[in-house]
Amino acid sequence: MAQAKGILQLPDDPRFLDMAYDVQGPVPEEERNLLSNLNPQDREIAIKFWESVKSDFRFNEYLRGCLNCGVCTSGCPAAKFYDFGPREMIQYMMRDEVDKIWEFTNKKVWACVQCYTCSMRCPFNNEIAGLIMVLREYAVKFALPSAKEILAPYRRVLYTVLTMGNQVTPDMIQPDSFPDWGPQAVEESKNMDVYRKAIPVDLMQRTDIGWHPSLQTAVEMMTIMIESGVMDSLKGVDKDLYDMIMDIYEERKSQLEEIKQKWEKGELDESELPDSWLDL
Amino acid sequence: MSAQEVDKKIEEGIKEAFPMTDTMDWNEVYQRIIYRYSTPHGLNHVKEELYKLEDKGEIIIHHIKPYNNPVKMQTLNGFPKVIPTTRLWQHKSCGQCGHIPGYPTSVFWMMNKMEVDYMDEPHQTSCTGWNYHASGASNPVALAGVYVRNMWRAYEIDYFPLIHCGTSFGHYKEIRNMLVLHKEIREKLRPIMRKMDMDIVIPEEVVHYSEWLYTMSKKAAQQRKYNLNEVRAAVHTPCHVYKLVPEDTIYDPDVFQGRRPAAPSGTVQNFGAKLVDYSTWWDCCGFGFRHILTEREFSRSFALFKKVIPAVEEGKADVFVTSDTGCVTTLDKSQWAGKAHGFNYNLPVLADAQFAAIAMGADPYKIAQIHWHATDVEGFMRKIGVDVDDYKEKFIQYLADLREGKAEPEYLYKPHRKIDFYLSVPERVKWYKGEGQKSTSSK
Ligand code: SF4
Ligand code: SF4
Repeated sequence: MAQAKGILQLPDDPRFLDMAYDVQGPVPEEERNLLSNLNPQDREIAIKFWESVKSDFRFNEYLRGCLNCGVCTSGCPAAKFYDFGPREMIQYMMRDEVDKIWEFTNKKVWACVQCYTCSMRCPFNNEIAGLIMVLREYAVKFALPSAKEILAPYRRVLYTVLTMGNQVTPDMIQPDSFPDWGPQAVEESKNMDVYRKAIPVDLMQRTDIGWHPSLQTAVEMMTIMIESGVMDSLKGVDKDLYDMIMDIYEERKSQLEEIKQKWEKGELDESELPDSWLDL
Repeated sequence: MSAQEVDKKIEEGIKEAFPMTDTMDWNEVYQRIIYRYSTPHGLNHVKEELYKLEDKGEIIIHHIKPYNNPVKMQTLNGFPKVIPTTRLWQHKSCGQCGHIPGYPTSVFWMMNKMEVDYMDEPHQTSCTGWNYHASGASNPVALAGVYVRNMWRAYEIDYFPLIHCGTSFGHYKEIRNMLVLHKEIREKLRPIMRKMDMDIVIPEEVVHYSEWLYTMSKKAAQQRKYNLNEVRAAVHTPCHVYKLVPEDTIYDPDVFQGRRPAAPSGTVQNFGAKLVDYSTWWDCCGFGFRHILTEREFSRSFALFKKVIPAVEEGKADVFVTSDTGCVTTLDKSQWAGKAHGFNYNLPVLADAQFAAIAMGADPYKIAQIHWHATDVEGFMRKIGVDVDDYKEKFIQYLADLREGKAEPEYLYKPHRKIDFYLSVPERVKWYKGEGQKSTSSK
């Protein structure tokens, strides 16, 4: 047929289809370099950053292709509120647009609320919210300014989760930081002690922890965080917090070893221990 | 428009939108969905690979045993999912225990009432998923380590893990898949676990408590104390329960014709309340992990405008039921600030477990702990006939007595020994169940 001849020949791999551009496929490296708005220093980190993300074992599993259909962004709660959308991220990723990914990571990636709506709806079955997490993980690993900024008000949560395995504490709800939660929250924070006592489970009666984990559990948790490299990434973002947690770890580890040894030998006098190791 | 007219309109709407509902070939639908959710690993379900790894001795599977009284349910892709109904290890949620304590206590109370065997221990950490999704300050090996450490504790005492938090549930499904599909993660994790005298344990199913509750709901509803026929309940199904690893969530043709997750909608339905629909049922609650702590304008606006207002205006809901830590918190705490702008909705928000426990006659303060909620849960209870004033008076007295040392705290199960707060000693279950001798070192 005469008409059919005029149709553009498209590459077979649907990952290279992009209806917004005459020329299909990734922009050649030289061209991208010419177009870059980043200063050479940033550009270098941006490339390293993107190479690390791409070599992560999850990357190819999570990114499978893109129609540029926008279904992800159309259902995205964060896109309704912020200058943010998952489609643009996927498109940059598809085309290896280092500069754009760098900009996206520094300015936008933290807007996502991790609802996984995009992932469930994407016709290509991309694990979009997972890719966002990969970007965030590497932002922390690279100690990017945006990660530092995000983590700053988050120190207390990080401290609690890394030392006790709980993430929030009842007493963090203070009237001055949560005034929008209403008078009920104010009343609770004023009489937290007695309200917690009235919870019919012994593990949940403290005000400084959601439930009381055992000392052994807390030490095991910190061991995992150290051995898996989480503490190393934290070092770059918040050195003070890192030092503090490592000190706590050493102390608790030796307390645990001592108690364990005594218990194994049948020499532990429980009456000498405080009710909670948190008071040791 | 009256409530009945709204219902009729919705019913007509459904008929119009899905004219072939009655003649639908579900098998064909499932086939399509299997394709849709297939992974690049060429598996129908990650469990195929899970069993192979067990055969090779690479992992230990925590199997569901006959004494867990398993019940077979159905998932989105047609794969069965087995829900253990007893001998359960309570995997608590940090946000529930911290800010909605009546959530886990309602679960325990229901289990006591239905004589379900369970263990709640201090040898558990949270999943750390809240922190991870908010800050990115973790990595796959650490996340897998946290998961496996908790699963090991449950395996060690042979109680099957029941996950309380929606995020923990979704997150653990994801981590389970990662562990099964990626040898490099197992290889990095194994030496860490060995260091703590543990190995890689993966439970046969990842089970959310809301799935347990739905599975038990018909039986539980037989013990209902109040009539819920007049209650119009809107449900928010938590995103991490069904959008994160969708193939592991239970569906049931009896609930929204199998188009939405069975829990917690089915639980509400089985307790006799009228399930109402609203156009944004699919939207997230606005929690956002980091947002609820440091970006609350987003959380508040989203919860109010995209969830609460549609549920009330479209569905004429008089209670909002959901099944996750973050969703209860966000929907409940986001309404008060709206008053300043004239949006005075005050729609009561409850977890399905609290909703069910209250309906079964649990003390609304001592057990369901509704005084931690910001919305008008008391109004809802008055509507179904709970003697709120009487319960409240007694609770205020109890608080005063506790404060003055005139009363001892009441417990849902025997409080732990001091040693349990330090070490996870091997005979802890025997002691707890009253079968064992005293620990050698206890007084
Ligand atoms: S997970 Fe993030 S990007 Fe995806 S829909 Fe939700 S908010 Fe948007
Ligand atoms: S929904 Fe999937 S295919 Fe469509 S634009 Fe988003 S990532 Fe691309």
